[in-house]
Amino acid sequence: MHEFLAQLANGVELGAIYALIALGYTLVYGILELINFAHGDVYTFGSFTALVVLVALRAANLLHGAGLILGIVAALVVAILACALLNAGIERLAYRRLRKAPRLAPLITAIGVSFMLENLIELWQGAAPVPFPNVIPNPELEIGALQVGVQQIVVVALAIATMIALHFFVKRSRLGKAMRAVAQDRDASSLVGIDVDRTIAITFLIAGALAGVAGFVGGVSFGSAWFLNGFGAGLRAFTAAVLGGIGNIAGAMLGGFLIGLLESFSTWFIGGQWSNVAVFSVLILVLVFRPSGLLGESLPEKV
Amino acid sequence: MRSPRIAALAALLLLAAPLSACSSGPAPASTTIGIGVDLPLSGADASVGTSTLDGIKLAVDRANAQGVPGGFTFAVQALDDTQQGVHNPQQGASNVRTLIADDSVLAIIGPYNSNVAAAEIPITNQAGIVQISPSAVSDGLTLGKDAAMLRRANPGVKTFFRVCTTDSRQGSAAARFALDLKLKRVYIVDDNETYGLDLANVFARDFAKLGGIVLGRDHIAPDTQDFKALLLKIKGYKPDFIFFGGTTSTGGGLLRRQMFDVGMGKVAFMGGDGIPDIAEVAKKRADGTYYTVAAPNADLLPAAKQFVTAYKAKFGSDVGPYSANAYAATQVAISAIEQAIVANGKKMPTRAQVLAKIPNSAKNEVLTPIGPISFDKNGDVRKPVISLYAIRNGRSAFIEQLNLSE
Repeated sequence: MHEFLAQLANGVELGAIYALIALGYTLVYGILELINFAHGDVYTFGSFTALVVLVALRAANLLHGAGLILGIVAALVVAILACALLNAGIERLAYRRLRKAPRLAPLITAIGVSFMLENLIELWQGAAPVPFPNVIPNPELEIGALQVGVQQIVVVALAIATMIALHFFVKRSRLGKAMRAVAQDRDASSLVGIDVDRTIAITFLIAGALAGVAGFVGGVSFGSAWFLNGFGAGLRAFTAAVLGGIGNIAGAMLGGFLIGLLESFSTWFIGGQWSNVAVFSVLILVLVFRPSGLLGESLPEKV
Repeated sequence: MRSPRIAALAALLLLAAPLSACSSGPAPASTTIGIGVDLPLSGADASVGTSTLDGIKLAVDRANAQGVPGGFTFAVQALDDTQQGVHNPQQGASNVRTLIADDSVLAIIGPYNSNVAAAEIPITNQAGIVQISPSAVSDGLTLGKDAAMLRRANPGVKTFFRVCTTDSRQGSAAARFALDLKLKRVYIVDDNETYGLDLANVFARDFAKLGGIVLGRDHIAPDTQDFKALLLKIKGYKPDFIFFGGTTSTGGGLLRRQMFDVGMGKVAFMGGDGIPDIAEVAKKRADGTYYTVAAPNADLLPAAKQFVTAYKAKFGSDVGPYSANAYAATQVAISAIEQAIVANGKKMPTRAQVLAKIPNSAKNEVLTPIGPISFDKNGDVRKPVISLYAIRNGRSAFIEQLNLSE
């Protein structure tokens, strides 16, 4: 029982990170029908910006007491802003001019951007994994039979708060409405006066911000940042987005948590070397049997 | 628009060509003998790779300062086998071909990693050039059917030697060390790579044979970031320690670090010579880690003390885990080349003449900082020594060593 609950908590923590990244894939896909393969590397960039801020603050001896909380907030905010700007910059430079190109062109461009980011991050921070400062002390709390760390609670709480904020933004705000409109029909929304380019840019900003949050919580949770992190995490998050139904926001969240739990429990029951196999088998099964995902609606083929 | 750019580019290339020739050392003349080197010099293995290269440079500088018969000078020609941040067998093979194509290169030192060595040995074997690795420990490089396959181009000729020991020797020494430390219950994890899996297999076999209890085994998938699920499972077995077959970069560092996140910080952690740099990833959490190195402790040998002082004076940093091995490998190669020069009437010897002078018995041992070195019929050292280290306060501390030939 103890172990079951511990694995459950670990799966939820992992799932929260995947869900945040998956949301970035799904938002961009929803509006552009582009699988933004560079998204995983934006996540890596978020980890490193948070890491750099924390290391600088620690070197300046500012990470005590109230300074610690302020420092964590500062690292989070810097990561969010940096990733949002990076993602919007990528859209402006690489994808916007391909808006009318055949679908394959932006897809290949996305892969190119991904390689570029990976190598730039390697130039910046080196190829060895860099330890992430231990900012959140991790004494274990006992809640009934469940043992959880403070770090785990912070990671999951931060992720869920972000998702709730995103939900309200998309459902309630004017910009969110514009995003949904552009996702439904780009030409019709421009006819009713929505600035399509601006709406797409804002979508990339938000997707980037989510990657920034994910980068921060991922760094805290795994304890290190590495220039190729985004590749593996990105693929798993992409699987999560497909599982939930790509383009569907609630689906990405659900898919993220399911993939996290699957990774945790497959490690427990069948062994660590099989966790990737379990995760990517799901991707194959979903694509074969339910390509629209768990929550996605099957779309008529666009001509 | 296009042609001026190309012209500019061509001009740049023309300018750069003589520059790059200058920066790669003295121009190859008939009096220069190249010592080829293939190591991971950038990326995740950069710190161990460059400290290994420094050991080679020191040995070459020494030999040049003492004077080489026939008025020759040695020059290091180092190539990097890193691609995408990790050591890469194809890159290693291509580097070795480049080195072999240069007639002045009479011996190759390297590579660092076993999987790279497996890609290079068929090439050096075919070319008949001496290759000495400071650190590639996988059994199959010199022993059994695997080694015979690597030598199939030239089955009668053995060109690959190593001054370190083998996985099987290291794994069984680690099993003995663990029991000496009163660690009886182990859970074994490996990274599923050539080196890590071999090491874990030998350790599992010998630890059980000596009376230890193997609670279970697991392999990790490449690119894994989250080891907490695995560690939570291991925690249920209540082990005295976790044995890890693999390197810091394939998961050793994060595994140790995340042990603290699941309340296993006080459980010991042990591995082979893939994790001496574990503190770089696990920081303070590396304390409580034990690792073996397939070489004697440098502080215990007089020749080693001289080496350590000279190394620190030249490079201003501490000796790396394989610097002394690299120095020794280079000494052996240089000694063989010098004997071949003398035997050839002080003229440039052939690669086959150098190969014939590689020490093969107690009579022609070469004295090195890691002890006297000569090779057995497989190309392994005749007097292997394994040392055990622990990480304390983020630094490596020597504990004991085992002399396996006794």
